[in-house]
Amino acid sequence: MMLVKKGVFFKIPAIVLCFILLTGCWNSNELDEIGIVVAMGIDKTDDNQYELVAQVINPSEIATDAPTTRPPVSTYSTTGKTLLEAFRKLTHKSPRKMYLSQLRLLVLGKDLAEEGIISSLDLFYREHEFRTGFYVTIAKDTDVDTLLSTLTAYEKIPANKLMNSIEAVETGHGSSKGITIDELISQIHSKGQSPVIAGVFMEGPEEGGTNISNVENIDAPVKLTIDHLGVLKDDRLVGWLDEDASMGYNYILGNIKSSVITHPCQDGTASIEILRTQSSMDAAFAGGEPSISIELDLEGNIGELNCPIDLSKEDSIQNLNKETEKEIKRLMEASIKSAQNDYETDIFGFGSLIHRKNPKYWKTVENDWDTEFKDLHVDIQVKADLRRKGDSTQPIIKEG
Amino acid sequence: MKQNSNKQTSPPASQPLFPNLEDSLDHIRTLMGDSSDLVIRSLMIHKTSAAVIYMDGLVDNNSVQNFILEALMLEMPSKRQSSHHLYLSIKEKALPIGETEEIESYTDLFDKLLSGETILLLEKQTKALAASTKGWRDRGVQETTSESVIRGPKEAFTETLRTNTALIRRKIKDSNLRIEAKKIGNKTHTDVAIVYLEGTAETDVIEELNRRLDQIDIDGVLESGYLEEFMQDAQYSPFPTVYNSEKPDAIAGGILEGRVAIITDGTPNVLLVPALFVNFMQSSEDYYQRADISTLIRMLRLFCFFVALFMPSLYIAFTTFHQEMIPPPLLINLAAQREGVPFPALVEALMMELTFEILREAGVRLPKPVGSAVSIVGALVLGQSAVQAGLVSPAMVIVVAITAISSFVFPSYNLAISIRMLRFPLMILAATFGLYGIILGMIALVLHLCSLTSFGKPYMSPFAPFIPKDQKDVLVRFPHWGLLSRPSSLTKKDQKRVDSTSKES
Repeated sequence: MMLVKKGVFFKIPAIVLCFILLTGCWNSNELDEIGIVVAMGIDKTDDNQYELVAQVINPSEIATDAPTTRPPVSTYSTTGKTLLEAFRKLTHKSPRKMYLSQLRLLVLGKDLAEEGIISSLDLFYREHEFRTGFYVTIAKDTDVDTLLSTLTAYEKIPANKLMNSIEAVETGHGSSKGITIDELISQIHSKGQSPVIAGVFMEGPEEGGTNISNVENIDAPVKLTIDHLGVLKDDRLVGWLDEDASMGYNYILGNIKSSVITHPCQDGTASIEILRTQSSMDAAFAGGEPSISIELDLEGNIGELNCPIDLSKEDSIQNLNKETEKEIKRLMEASIKSAQNDYETDIFGFGSLIHRKNPKYWKTVENDWDTEFKDLHVDIQVKADLRRKGDSTQPIIKEG
Repeated sequence: MKQNSNKQTSPPASQPLFPNLEDSLDHIRTLMGDSSDLVIRSLMIHKTSAAVIYMDGLVDNNSVQNFILEALMLEMPSKRQSSHHLYLSIKEKALPIGETEEIESYTDLFDKLLSGETILLLEKQTKALAASTKGWRDRGVQETTSESVIRGPKEAFTETLRTNTALIRRKIKDSNLRIEAKKIGNKTHTDVAIVYLEGTAETDVIEELNRRLDQIDIDGVLESGYLEEFMQDAQYSPFPTVYNSEKPDAIAGGILEGRVAIITDGTPNVLLVPALFVNFMQSSEDYYQRADISTLIRMLRLFCFFVALFMPSLYIAFTTFHQEMIPPPLLINLAAQREGVPFPALVEALMMELTFEILREAGVRLPKPVGSAVSIVGALVLGQSAVQAGLVSPAMVIVVAITAISSFVFPSYNLAISIRMLRFPLMILAATFGLYGIILGMIALVLHLCSLTSFGKPYMSPFAPFIPKDQKDVLVRFPHWGLLSRPSSLTKKDQKRVDSTSKES
């Protein structure tokens, strides 16, 4: 007969005790006890308090066979001296504990952005529940509360709609770019590069977007739209790049995955589908003065031709190549010009490049980089290579 | 040893035979309490009184009639002989039966009588003859019900020891196959046979097994499970350390690997030791199907092992502690399903698991026609209605279903039972500590598994200790021409299995 070892009676309680004392994270929450926050908006009120807006999903409306007329998301907003205070005050209004790990989007109010954002980002970087992968955007021409209370038709969750749109613009057109919170914070702290933040705005009448009837239309009257890039100097919003400059910005940084370039061609226009870009930046020092050279290689297809050129000739293709190069160069120059003259801030990271190439020189200009940047000479080389013509060999308007 | 001392406490049985036939018969009748199945046929052989004694139902009536009664009553030479001479001539000439033996004491006499042999008593003789006429109704060799295969032999062991040893002999026609007999049980005197290959099985294991079996002092052994509990290494472990099967080919395969089989009379479940963890994950069919599919299926079983053990606890941990680890669309879906479910995830899971266990047990016990009713109730009531009534979320039903199906994948019922049991503590750990609890449980489980041994062999070998040579037949199965040696975690003797030149490449 095997006897139970004496020690067991001591060991088992000891182990159970360890379980209780050594708990790592004690925050068990049932799924129906948490409100999943997908978007947050922050802004400053007139009396210098923070305004916090949280968009919470209503799961049973989103994943259901029998939708009711209730909206798929709800927003709650409060004010407080700090964001955490405001956040905790949300409990007055929300029936559930707010769960932040699935946050997709942070929308900054325009007033806050113009005043400086860095102090309001501390919570988002400190609180353990946040991931660092959510996008930060700026509400342009709309107040945060209204923007986050707008229902979207095709995608039930407005936060998802905005995030997906940012990604779609980024990969399909290139006139905007999402920035995540950790990138944003590191760029704000970097002296050699200023961040740009995508803008979002509400299209349509001011009222009506919050009503469920908005999404009952085929063409919803109120839409959330992604705008171009907002330029930050230090942590303050100083202005917006236009579409050309935004695209130029993304070409310079090699962010373009796929885009379209349109240029005149004889009597009509030609659109080139950009398929791949590769950009490289280098800094040179001539006579103690830095200069930047940017080389961009790209591949593309002929996307749409409205001019009667003969595509069977090598010359026509070369011509299209040249026109494409010219147009892209124009976009890039517009972007640099805008940054140098209008906003006087280095959004391209040229400063960081110079820092890496010539740390000694960087030390001398570090604190005064924005003025140095204004007069920085930038040389741009674009090399386009059109590979394919698509399914038709000649323009459709050309005879024969 | 103890067994013997117990027998000495009933002195009348160990007595030598009485010379007087009537006394002897009286003695037997008294000890048997005039049992109704005791048959005593008195007869005269040339004026010497004799008696043929047997148990009705345990003997083959034909043999008794044709080869004993007929031989004694009709074919004896008519020459008059003394009782002693008559005895000798019967012993040597008269009984046309394969196995006869002399008995000198009542202990032996009852032993033989109750095992189905026929006893011949002669007047004035202190010796009796026992003729083997065992023959009773048994089931015959039938198709296995608990370990069905698609390819491979379908026959299963029966309740009769001799049939079972024959089934093994028919697979391994080697003179080294040893079948050692034992009797265990003070009242049942159950026959037990130890079967192994001399020179292949390790002597240590055989000696250890004999020692453990000899130690057993119990009134009755009705099934091999009695022996298993006496001889298994870890009494308090949920994991089995003795393998059992009712398929002769699986047992023969084990014997060829150098293991030792224990056949118990009265049950088709034959034991096999030593048993390693991996043995319970393997099916004899793995060796009959092609090597590639066998390998994939073994991987699948390993996957199912983890699913069956961890799935409900992972579900609980993810949905109550680690919502950030669930992809957002899935999380929204799960959250929507949980809306309105009144119980916490743990209670929900325990409820469903418990219901499933109840259904399963009910299904096993019920007669077949009623069994289908249980499955209807189970599928309908639990799958559909419980969700519609808002008692459980649909995702939980799926989790429980996948867990249940995964636990049916194992060829060995033993291991499935351990998993069934361990699932519940893991679920509670998950509900109190999240993934941290699951990891703790897993560490404890691994430590425990690594501490087990089966007849001196590390339970987790060939993983721990890692034996590279043995990996050929664990997770993957090499083709038979590549299984060159016996698993060295089981036996170190007679290693060669396949000649490396036997497959032309």
